[in-house]
Amino acid sequence: MTKSILLGSAVLLLAAVSPVSIHAQFQPPNPDELKMTADPAAPGASAVYLEVKEMENDPLHYESFYQRIKVLTEKGKELATVELPYLQGNWKVTDIKGRTIHPDGTIIPLVGKPEDLLIAKSGDRQANKKVFTLPSVEVGSVLEYYYEIHYDDNWYSSPDWRIQQPYFVHKARYEFTANTVIEMADSYGRIIRRLLWWPQLPAGVSVVNSVGGKFTLNMTDIPPQPDEEWMPPIDSLLYRVGFYYTAATDSHTFWLDEVKIWSKGVDQFAEPSKSLKDAVAGLIAPTDSDLDKAKKLYIAVQALDNTDFSRRKSESEMKQLKVKEIKNAKDTWEQKSGSSEDIAMLYLAMLRAAGLTAYAVKVVDRDRNLFDVAYLSLYQLDSTLVALSTGGKEILLDPGEKMCPFQTVSWKHSSAGGVGQSAQGPSLISTPEQQYKDNVTQRMGDVFVDAQGGVTGRINIVMNGQAALHWRQRALEEDDSELKKEFDSEELAGRTPEGVEAHVDHFLGLNDPYADLMAVVSVNGALGTATAKRMIVPGFFFESRQTIPFVKEEKRVIPVDMHYGRRVTDEITYHLPDGVTMEGGLQDGTIAWPNHAALIVKSVSQPGQITVRQTLLVGFTLAKPDEYQDLRGFYQKVAAADQQQLVLSKSPVVATTATGKGN
Amino acid sequence: MRRSSGTSRFLIVAACCGMMLFGSNSAAGKDKDNLLPEWAVDAAKTPTPAGVKDAPTVILFREYLEAVDAQGRAVERKRQAIRILQPQARDQVCAVWYDVDEKINYFKAWTLGADGRQYQAKDTDFFDHGAGEEGIVTPILLDTHKARVVHPPATDVGATVFCESEELRAPWDHEMDWEIQERVPFALEALEIDLPPGLNFSESWHRFPPVKPVEVAPNHWRWEIKDMPALDLRDVKASLEPEALDARMYVEWGDAAVAGVESEWHALGLWYTNIESHRADPSPEITAESQQLVAGATDFFTKLTDITEYIQKNVRYFVVERGIGGFQSHFAGDIFRNRYGDCKDKTTLLISMLQAVGIQADYVLVDDRRGVVDPEAPSLYGNHMITAIEIPDGVNDPRLMAIATGKNGKRYLIFDPTNEHTPVGNLPYYLQGSYGILSAGVESQLIPLPVLAPDSNGTDEKGTFALSADGSLTGSVDTLHTGSEGADFRWMLKYTDDKERLKFWEKYIGQDLPDVTLTSFQFVQATSLAKPLEFHYKVSVPNYAHQAGPLLLVRPRVVDDLAIPFDDKPRQVPIDLTATGDWRDSFDITLPPGYVVDETPDPVNVDMDFASYHSSTTAKGNVLHYEREYVVRQVELPPEKAADFRKLENAILFDEKSAAVLKKQ
Repeated sequence: MTKSILLGSAVLLLAAVSPVSIHAQFQPPNPDELKMTADPAAPGASAVYLEVKEMENDPLHYESFYQRIKVLTEKGKELATVELPYLQGNWKVTDIKGRTIHPDGTIIPLVGKPEDLLIAKSGDRQANKKVFTLPSVEVGSVLEYYYEIHYDDNWYSSPDWRIQQPYFVHKARYEFTANTVIEMADSYGRIIRRLLWWPQLPAGVSVVNSVGGKFTLNMTDIPPQPDEEWMPPIDSLLYRVGFYYTAATDSHTFWLDEVKIWSKGVDQFAEPSKSLKDAVAGLIAPTDSDLDKAKKLYIAVQALDNTDFSRRKSESEMKQLKVKEIKNAKDTWEQKSGSSEDIAMLYLAMLRAAGLTAYAVKVVDRDRNLFDVAYLSLYQLDSTLVALSTGGKEILLDPGEKMCPFQTVSWKHSSAGGVGQSAQGPSLISTPEQQYKDNVTQRMGDVFVDAQGGVTGRINIVMNGQAALHWRQRALEEDDSELKKEFDSEELAGRTPEGVEAHVDHFLGLNDPYADLMAVVSVNGALGTATAKRMIVPGFFFESRQTIPFVKEEKRVIPVDMHYGRRVTDEITYHLPDGVTMEGGLQDGTIAWPNHAALIVKSVSQPGQITVRQTLLVGFTLAKPDEYQDLRGFYQKVAAADQQQLVLSKSPVVATTATGKGN
Repeated sequence: MRRSSGTSRFLIVAACCGMMLFGSNSAAGKDKDNLLPEWAVDAAKTPTPAGVKDAPTVILFREYLEAVDAQGRAVERKRQAIRILQPQARDQVCAVWYDVDEKINYFKAWTLGADGRQYQAKDTDFFDHGAGEEGIVTPILLDTHKARVVHPPATDVGATVFCESEELRAPWDHEMDWEIQERVPFALEALEIDLPPGLNFSESWHRFPPVKPVEVAPNHWRWEIKDMPALDLRDVKASLEPEALDARMYVEWGDAAVAGVESEWHALGLWYTNIESHRADPSPEITAESQQLVAGATDFFTKLTDITEYIQKNVRYFVVERGIGGFQSHFAGDIFRNRYGDCKDKTTLLISMLQAVGIQADYVLVDDRRGVVDPEAPSLYGNHMITAIEIPDGVNDPRLMAIATGKNGKRYLIFDPTNEHTPVGNLPYYLQGSYGILSAGVESQLIPLPVLAPDSNGTDEKGTFALSADGSLTGSVDTLHTGSEGADFRWMLKYTDDKERLKFWEKYIGQDLPDVTLTSFQFVQATSLAKPLEFHYKVSVPNYAHQAGPLLLVRPRVVDDLAIPFDDKPRQVPIDLTATGDWRDSFDITLPPGYVVDETPDPVNVDMDFASYHSSTTAKGNVLHYEREYVVRQVELPPEKAADFRKLENAILFDEKSAAVLKKQ
């Protein structure tokens, strides 16, 4: 359970009613539940929720929670420990009751006081948690507990029902009694007078709104939270209902008002002051084209200290430095430092100061969440971009992403929803998808194979687009030595053939976002295996050990999120030892998932060497569950192709027997 | 139980906190631009040592002062100067850990910025958090430890951070564990202890030659160490844990401050005996349950098994600690009622239940990271508690394998009740070859924990497969897992559901068989832990063998990696072999019609004193047969054995990768 909390401007008299009279009592154990040893509704599950009840009563400043759980395996015992976080001061967790019921009906009550442990404290703000563990838990036990939360009279609280749990839920009831009389204003001074709710529920299920501001939801057979590979941020896909006290009357009005207020704030922040105009005049020439002006200013703001990639100054540090909080674009420019948001807004201001037409765009970070228009909160948007309008086109720019080249956008901000300004006024928008041709990685090199299958060589990994951006940003946060270790671990260790060590020797172009980034990699080790007559080496240097996704997963519930389109090309030349010739090679060809992805393999054999070229194109970002079988079919074929090997014949001179003498 | 610079805790924890405290009342600067205390000004003059390479920070200065009162209670002052060398250290913090019976007297921090400007941390730069928020992975119900953390200002590359704190330590804590080596280098570090007249101290050193102290005032001693290099094991393969290899020094000023290593171990064991006094006294319920459990037992081993398996199966692992609860268990009666507890609690309940049936057992303080407990360096530094069960004269049961013999001639069966899956008589691999403090009153002593014979642990694996002409492989594998191997499987089974097991196993086997599908799998757990765990599964692999022109390549070793990754770098530290054991594989692959074996890999035969490896591949008719046996006889090798170990591992790796070549007839 999470909640949005608003501090009310007035104390409500309704709170005088005591909630004690509505305390729950545990019901007698249900024999069918006690007998249960497995649950056909959740095969193989370690536990199931038999019943979940959550009730919030805002007029009474009171919430209650009840859960009854069946433990089916040892792992399910983990649910016996319950942590209840709360804010100290205005919130109290009370009336904690619990018991364990053994399959034979024996009841062991929770005795003793739950522990009250510190989570974190800063100044006069403190978060604690009440913690208890139910006693004598066995496989087969039914766990049952109940607790209440009470909050101060001058607070309003509306719940966010998180309905899907880690385990299957048989029966759930949620109930919220809202305040019908609210006396407070939002941060813009608008009177809050309504309650809205945001349901994300399966078809056929809805929240019932009855008189008196009471909302109820009854659900049965709720599947557990899904866990699939390459999922989009899961939080945005789970069943939930969020409630808001708001000044808006409906969703349409909310966004209409919200984007107007946001846009006005942007324009105020990005107002080009005289000093900013002077600075811009010094950075561009009147004869520059719009695009050149925009690029020069982009480079200038990218050169500033972006504190999201360095270090944000603390409040006390700013005081000691007598640095004021950034309130507009001029402040950012004068301080030569700011967050990604500050820098993006400064760039907008500078474009406008240069006389260019530019708009702010605010989107969700797609690595964190998906934009949901039904979720009435601008806070779900956390990244600011700039749209430059020139030559009849709009160019999306990402100045807040340090090291992101001009006209490149981080994948986290591509295919992302949000709000944007435009000549027609602010509105809801979505940013374009990344194209595979914009994100290219090439791994090219020569490896020299000796008669025993040993190998040495050098491979250059050349990256542009998102891969280059990723490593350049990592380089801002760690030194060269750590960066090499991380690259070895993420890009090489799981991809190179078993027995082969591959390490980055150095990087080229790490500090220049407009150049290709190159990792120069040295390799050595035992690439192949040898028999008396032959040597066998992996056909694909980088792919033979990599796990290909989706091959085994037969069904898909959640869309597949590849983050961004890309093209990866390997071109490795194996130099063979004297007397070794090709006996069996690779199958050339193309595997395609039309309009989505392709794998192209081509090998060329010459005396003393063989060159293997493989290109994987991923031309999509999201695949819906109904496209999954095509996607899976493609990756199954890729997996088969990746396992091919080269068979080399050798003169019958060298025989290798690994025989240790020992001592 | 682990002790670290004034704190202690019992449980298996993820490395908590670098305790960084610092202190002095001489802190205040003379004016608003000169904020640093004098000691910090001096420390800031220390140049970055020339030998520092790639370290994120260097500790220019760290000094502890333990001021001990007449009752043995210490106030610890800690001062520290850290220079930030790399961007990943820009979030440098200092932290002081404290518990219910400890108190932070003061905590301050300053920064000398990269530009020479001075800063002082203000109230808003400090915050407190609980132990559960610091990456401690064990499910903790109650751990009252808290950390106060400061984020000093201006922590850019080139800046130097200074922190100082003073903390009143717990009244029962009479040991200082001076951690003189970490993941970053030190320029200068010092420890002072200021003792009241008449109070003695004893010192010991772990993996570092002893340094003589200077008596800077009457009974006030100072040790200094310069230029301590970092110990970074991230790129060292098959290494012991860093805590086993870090240099440390221990000082005792309580009951354990006695002359002689043996006497000191004895005193530590005796101290712990007193801490746990009467905790294991059996309640009537415990006595009744214990006696009922052993009612049908006819011999010592059966009695033990009845009790130990009861605890292993019925008492949930759960940590409950507050203050001295980091060392002291709960009362046996409470543990029995709640059916949960941590390692100390499980040991207490075991001792209690054994006592109820006439078997004597004692506490043994250990660390589950081999090499941490050093026989030459007495201390309470450790993280775990196990049990030593006295074996009566005349009992000579071969099932009692994990026997340690005390200096008193008594035989003890070493048993870990927290490990819910290793049967009594056996010993988890992580404890073998280590040491523990036997806490047995006047018979307290340090005892070596045994290294078991290879037949106490291992796997017997048989596989039958059919290969198709398109390279796909189907078949079944039947395995038997004994000892620690079986325990690991049981542990996995306990904490996973079917879906997770399938995922885990497909991923695990997928390392050998990319894109494998487990068409079925079944674990068979005998009721008795002493019996092997069986695992039977069937696989389908779409691209196991690979066409190469007219040839078909097939790897005879179908599953199971035994090779330990190693490299050619010069070796400075011991090699961890993890466990003794005996692993056997036997695989038969029926070839597709029309194919014959053209070539098989050569056999591999390696025999060393610490291990042996033998494998062979043969072809009989249309069946390709592979078999191998790997025997490990030691758990750890000195660095001088690196060449032998490398030879062994290369041979295993070569064998595991080798392919047979099939030809179409």
